[in-house]
Parts: sequence; C-alpha cells; structure tokens
Amino acid sequence: MLSIKKMGFLRDPKWCEMDIKEFVAKVKSGEINVVEYTEKVLEDIEQINSNYNYFSVITKELALEQAKKVNRSKTGKLAGVPISIKDCICVKGVESSASSDILKGYKPVFNATVVKKLIDEGAIIVGKTVQDEFGFGGFSMNVGNSFKVPYNPFDIVRSCGGSSGGSGGITQKSRYLHVSIGESTGGSIACPASFCGVYGFTPSYGVVSRYGLMDYGSSLDKIGPMAKSLDDCKKVFDVIKGHDIKDSTSLDFRENEGEVKKVAIIKESFNVNPKIKDIVINKIQALGYEYEEVSLPVVDKYALASYSLIAMSEASTNLAKYCGLRYGYQPEMKEMYNDYFSKVRSETITDEAKRRIILGTFARMAGYRDAYYLKALKVRTLIINEYRQKFKEYDILLSPTMPILPPALDEVKYLEPLELYKMDQLTIGVNLAGLPHISLNAGFVDGLPVGLMLIGDQLKDNNIFKALEGIDGS
Amino acid sequence: MEVKIGLEVHCQLNTKSKLFCGCKNDVSDVPNVFTCPTCLGHPGAKPVFNKVVLDKALEVALALKCNINKTILFSRKSYFFPDLPNNYQITQYEFPLAEKGMFDGIRITRLHIEEDPGRLVHKGSFVLIDYNRSGTPLIEIVTEPDITSPERAKDFLNKLVNALEYLGVYSRSSEASLRCDVNVSINGGNRVEVKNVNGINDVRKVLEYEIDRQQIQQAKQETRGWDSEKCITYEMRTKESEQDYGYITESNLPSFEISDIMIESAESKLPELPHVKAKRFMGDYRITPEDAEVLTTEIELADLFEAVARKIDPVLAARWLRRELVKLLSLNKKKMKEIEIDEQQMTDLMDLYFSKKITDKIAKQLMEIIIEKPIDIKKYVEENNLMAVSDENELDKWCNEVINDNPQAVDDYLKGSENSLNFLMGKVMRLSKGKASPDLCKDMIKRKLNK
Repeated sequence: MLSIKKMGFLRDPKWCEMDIKEFVAKVKSGEINVVEYTEKVLEDIEQINSNYNYFSVITKELALEQAKKVNRSKTGKLAGVPISIKDCICVKGVESSASSDILKGYKPVFNATVVKKLIDEGAIIVGKTVQDEFGFGGFSMNVGNSFKVPYNPFDIVRSCGGSSGGSGGITQKSRYLHVSIGESTGGSIACPASFCGVYGFTPSYGVVSRYGLMDYGSSLDKIGPMAKSLDDCKKVFDVIKGHDIKDSTSLDFRENEGEVKKVAIIKESFNVNPKIKDIVINKIQALGYEYEEVSLPVVDKYALASYSLIAMSEASTNLAKYCGLRYGYQPEMKEMYNDYFSKVRSETITDEAKRRIILGTFARMAGYRDAYYLKALKVRTLIINEYRQKFKEYDILLSPTMPILPPALDEVKYLEPLELYKMDQLTIGVNLAGLPHISLNAGFVDGLPVGLMLIGDQLKDNNIFKALEGIDGS
Repeated sequence: MEVKIGLEVHCQLNTKSKLFCGCKNDVSDVPNVFTCPTCLGHPGAKPVFNKVVLDKALEVALALKCNINKTILFSRKSYFFPDLPNNYQITQYEFPLAEKGMFDGIRITRLHIEEDPGRLVHKGSFVLIDYNRSGTPLIEIVTEPDITSPERAKDFLNKLVNALEYLGVYSRSSEASLRCDVNVSINGGNRVEVKNVNGINDVRKVLEYEIDRQQIQQAKQETRGWDSEKCITYEMRTKESEQDYGYITESNLPSFEISDIMIESAESKLPELPHVKAKRFMGDYRITPEDAEVLTTEIELADLFEAVARKIDPVLAARWLRRELVKLLSLNKKKMKEIEIDEQQMTDLMDLYFSKKITDKIAKQLMEIIIEKPIDIKKYVEENNLMAVSDENELDKWCNEVINDNPQAVDDYLKGSENSLNFLMGKVMRLSKGKASPDLCKDMIKRKLNK
C-alpha cells in the first residue's frame, strides 16, 4: 500500500517532510525563517496553480506581510503555517466570491471567525481556493465563467472532487507544509479529500463558527480542515473550534473523554466499485479494527431526497441577497429593480445554481411546502434518530467516502443532475445529521486515491482522532 | 350596514440596538450610518438575536392578555425588494410569540417579532436606499375583524398606542413609526386589504374611503395601496397574483424556549395600564369617567394628577388639569413628556387659585408660562405682584372708573341685560390687569348700580 508521502512528487527534502508540530517548533527556535519559507511556498503554489487551477486568488502581499510579523513575534500555535481558505469564507480585503461571477470583485470588510482565529495563531493565509459555485457540486466543475476548473493532482484529466476541490488539490500537491480550510454542506470536504488522497475533517455541526462563511444551507454548513497528516488536521481544528458570539448556532465544544471501543461498518455503503470495497476493507483491517456490521436503511433510502430538499430550499433564500445592488457584479441599472435583479442573476450564476434555486423555491411554495420542505425536515429527524440508535452501541461507523474513483472531467459533463447528486450518497447522511467525520486515504486503485470515512457521534469529534491515533507514525 | 375591520399593526420598539445586530436603533439625517455587515446583508454575516426585544415584546403580549408560545423560532419571508438587504425578512411564522389575546374589547389574533427593512428615498429621477432602519425591531399585532367602524378603529389604536407608551416600549415620536395593514369588508362581502397605512388618522381615512368605495363598487378579494396625498386607495394585486413568501426556518438562529421565570419577570414589570388606572382614579379620587379617561392618556399626566391629588381636592384638580393643562397642551401641540412641569409648581398654582389668592385669569397666564419654562410659582406671583386684589378701596376705585366711562352699558344693565354686567366686569379686569378678585368685583358693581 502506498502512503501519501511516498507518491513520488518532487519535494524539497529540507522543507516538506515536516508536520505542524515540527515546523512550528523550528519557527520558534529561529531555525526556519518564515519570510523565506513563505516566499518558497508562494512560488510553489503559483507554479502549481498555473497547471492545476486550485486558486481563485493567491494572496502574496498579505502572506508576506503576515510572514514578517510572525518572523518577528515567533508566537502562535500555527506560527508560519501556510493555510489556504475556501473561496466562500471571507478574508478581509481579499476578493472572496465563492467562485461565482455574481460576487466578482467583492472584497469583504471583515474576516470570518475561523480566519481571524488562524491569523491570531500566526498562520499565513496564502490564497482562496476554487470551488463549485457556492458549494453546488461534487466535482468542482460548476465554477463561474471567469474561473477555471481545478484538476486532480494524480491525473490531470480527472476531477479533484468538490465542492472544496481547490483545497483538496493544493493540500496534496503543495511541496511544502499546507493546510486548507474547506467547507462541507453535503460532503464537500470528504469528497475532495478522498479524490485528492488527503485528510479532510468535517466537525459536528456548530462546533466551528460559520461567521463569515457565505451560507449555502445554513443548517448544514460546516467548516473544517484538510491536511497532509492527521495531527495537522487536529491542530488546526483545535484552533478554529469553539463558540462564537457572532454565530448563534455555534456551540461551546468540550473535549470528550470517551473511549473508542466498538466500531462497525455500514452495510449499505459497500455497494460500490468492488476494487474500492477491497481497498477500504483492507485499510480497516490494517488499522487493526475488529468491526461489526450495521444497517442504516432510512439513511440509505431517504437521506439524499431529504438533504436535497432542505439544502436547496435554504440555498434558494441564502442566494437571494445576490442581486447586484450593494456588492459584487453591478452593471448599469437601466430598468426596474426586479428586471435588473433578474438580469444580473441570469447573466452571472451557473446553470447548476439556477437549478437549485428553482427547485428550492418550488419546494417551499404554498401548496408544496408540506409535501416537500416540511416533510424533508421530518425525515431528517428520523435519520438523526437512526444514527443515534447506532451510536448507543458503537463509537465509530465506517464506510468508503465515495462510491467511485475520481471521474474524468469529460465523463462528468455528460451525467444527468440526478446521477451527479447520487455520487454524494455515502456522505449525505452524516452531513444531514451534522455528525463529525473524516476522510483519509485508504490506498490506490489504478493510481487513483480511495478514501475511507470514519463517522463519530454528534459532538464526539475527538473520538475520530482517538480512533486513528498513531496512524502517521507520530 | 355591517362593517368588519381587522388591523395588522406594525410598531417599532424603542430598543437601544437593532433586532439582529449591535447597530444603534435610531433615526438620523445622515443615511446609512447605523449599519454593519449584518443589517446590510453582506455575504457571511449572521444575525444574532437581541433578547431585550423579547423582554419588551413579552410585556406587550402579556398586557394584551395573550397566550405565550414558549418556543421562539424565526422564519424567512422571501420577496425581492431593494430596501430588503437579504431579499428575505426575518419574522415569526409558524409560532408567533403570542396568540389569542384581548384588548379594548377587540380579540387579538397574534403578536410576533420581525425586522423592519430599510427605506427608499425618492430624489428627482433617482431612488436612494437608506439602511439605517434596516433591522429595527418591530412587533406586529394582528386583530380579529371585530372592529365595526372607522371611529372605533381610531379609538382602538389610540388606546393601544397609549398602552404601548405606558409599557415604555414605544414612543409616539413620528406617525411613521406606527404602520398598519387594514382589512375591511362590508355586508359579508369580499375582504379588501390596504397595505402600508402610516399613522392613526390615515387608518380612519382609509376606512372611510373604502367603506364608501365598497358601497359603490363591489369589492374583489384584493390588496390595495393607499395614496395619502390624494386620499384614495388603488389596486395593487388581486388574489390570483397574491405573493407567495415561501416561508422557511431561519436556520442561522437556533430555536429556544422561554422560561417561566422570564414570563413571570415580564409580568411583574407590567405597569398599571391606562384603562385600569382610569378605573382606579374614579374609585380613589371620585373623579368623573371623562376626567379619568383624559388624565390617563399620558402616563406623565396621570402621575402629575396623582401627585397633586394627594395635596388638594382631587375633583377640582382633575377638572383644572383637564380643562386648562390638557387644552393648553393640545393648543400648543405639545406632549406632557416634552414639558417640564413638576407637581410642586402645579400644586402651588392650584393652591393659590382655589384659595382665591390669584384670579382665574392670572392662573391661566401662569399656566402658559410654566409649560414653556419651569418657575417658582409663589415667588413669581409675589415678585410680579399678581395676587388677587380684594382691597375694598382699590376695587371701589376701579369700579367707579368703569361705571363712569361706560354709561351705555350701565343703561343696558339697568334695562335687564346680564351681558352688560359681564362687559363691565371685563373692563374692570382689564383695568386691574386681571388681578381684581372677580367675585368681590361683581358684587360691588351690582351693589353700585342697583342703588
């Protein structure tokens, strides 16, 4: 089995074989000059970006300015650590557009809470990563017209997953230490983590503040780290978690002292490509788990429908504010406001976003609301209860992250929307229930990475890290 | 004719900050100064509920004898309009804060909390947007169609506003801070809704206009607008094109439960409301229902009355306050809270008047002075020599002068004209600069002429 670090990419041996722990120690001792390091990182990501399209913006000036500060202070849990931020998370003064043309040129006047926390701990923000517009997709192909589709780091004709595709790609491809902040509504961290062969951790809903995250589905959106090692994931998670007065849905997260005793695989999740199944089972065995098998029939049957209705209903209202009035794309207004709004929205947003707005609006209209939106909320409760039942008995549930290998971009183009939505089958349930989960590389099939997903009980995020303790030999 | 009127009253609450952000809840001549990413709808900004609004709204709900829904949950009401930053309004839909109340004999359907949008300003060919108002807390009070006439609607609204002022949640500063949607039908016909009516007087005008109109044109079930300049309603949309707001949960705000302690605390803070106070005044001070009603319209006036009534005859005090102070205030278009009258001034003034140490005329002059600026009444009367004159010699001098100068009036009086006596009295008052004690004076003139 191949490990990520031995995939044969050209790495600078002096710089790259470090995780955050080692790196920060060297920054603090003065062994690493942060400005020098950051310059190399920027050079590297610029070069990668010219071939792979992972960034919507590279924040060179901001990064060097922060690097100088950290070089002087030598403080912070993440002193000097290069971090990229998914485009839908606001960075003050840096174009933040959720990869949508309707927000072209928009520079937020404030930092998202996660960004502020990272900067406060000495992290260096190196850029904004490309994504499916507003998070609408699983292959990072639904980007606005002025953005380029990112490519899979292992095979340039394939998808790097989505919607946090740029984050997954750069985390794998960067020759240096790198952590990216992704965001998941229905699987947007786990999917690119799987397709790019990196760690992608999605915390319990509410554990990380969403202040400064452009809403997709406000009851579903979760911010989480993507990294080259488990410990890096944990270190960044520990910095960004916690209650935030600016996000009323955020929770005070307390470390849970529980033990990981029993694990189970989810039966329905293994109806996948047999090669993927074998790799994942092998990995589970290599991790030394003795597992049982559970069945989640409600999740399997209804999660996708319930998720789609809730996410699209919420998205259709969350996107209403984008109308060309106060920020972003603002052409000259020559008509009545409603015609102007329609014009701006028709011209800028992608077909997929339009599809979700229309479906979501339909699902909450009088006469359909009971049958779709409200029923979906009830089904969501059933799904949460089904997971809750299982977590009474088990501490961790296991499944492959994605049912397929990273597909060729040309193939994805010809898939129907419903076929595309079904690709999220394995990640939708946990996201709908707001449960913490991580995708890690389980191995490779035909040179393409396969992801294993560990799912923990609500607010028992640390169980996931406990279950994987020592995985990187640390 | 059977008239059925229901009202939806939107009232701005006078909290320090807005409903979902820390911006100042105030008006300003400078547009867009009380704004932030949240009330401007910037991407990524989130609402945070201002719980002071809940305290105030709870008090109103309890004062209107409503049942409280303990689950607080907000919804998004979606429609596109330039003054609405998110293109949805955060409001309460499935679970309003309160339901099924009663006020002034009118059933209250529901009461809920919501945010105000910004404001459009029309300047020449431009439309400008001012977001200072965006996110101002509102309560919407919806009544059952129990109101039967425009006059009754006006009366109800006046009483409601009084109650809100008593509760200290609202200030009747501008007419625009009270906005109504008015529903009206006649003789069991279709219900017509008139949207966005500003102020109580316009509500009455809308109703009068609509009742007339519906007698001539058969009413369709429709929504109409109100042109306050032309004083007419106009067609906005019919039932077929009724807006669908596609309500969904506002999932950026978690739902939560109101505790019993919170309700009890709101209940304990409830002040005595105007109608209760009026009843008590009638019992405690034996004043007339009319006096009691007028004196309780403003809490400051009611408090002044109570303070004065402890020291001098309440019936006389009530009559004086109602006839003199209230009249003078309405003449000067002033509110009690805008003037600085304290109980000492008022007690001194009434004391001097009722003990006939100053005349009616001087008392009225003093009233006009004290609603402008506070003075020490006793000192002022002394320094300006305003005591009523009851000295026989002085009065005798004035009376003789008036009688000698007005032979015609004297003649008329002797022929039986009571008016002429009043005329002569007026002359004496003028001559004495209002200080002549009127009773003594009248007696003296009569005595002199009847000799």
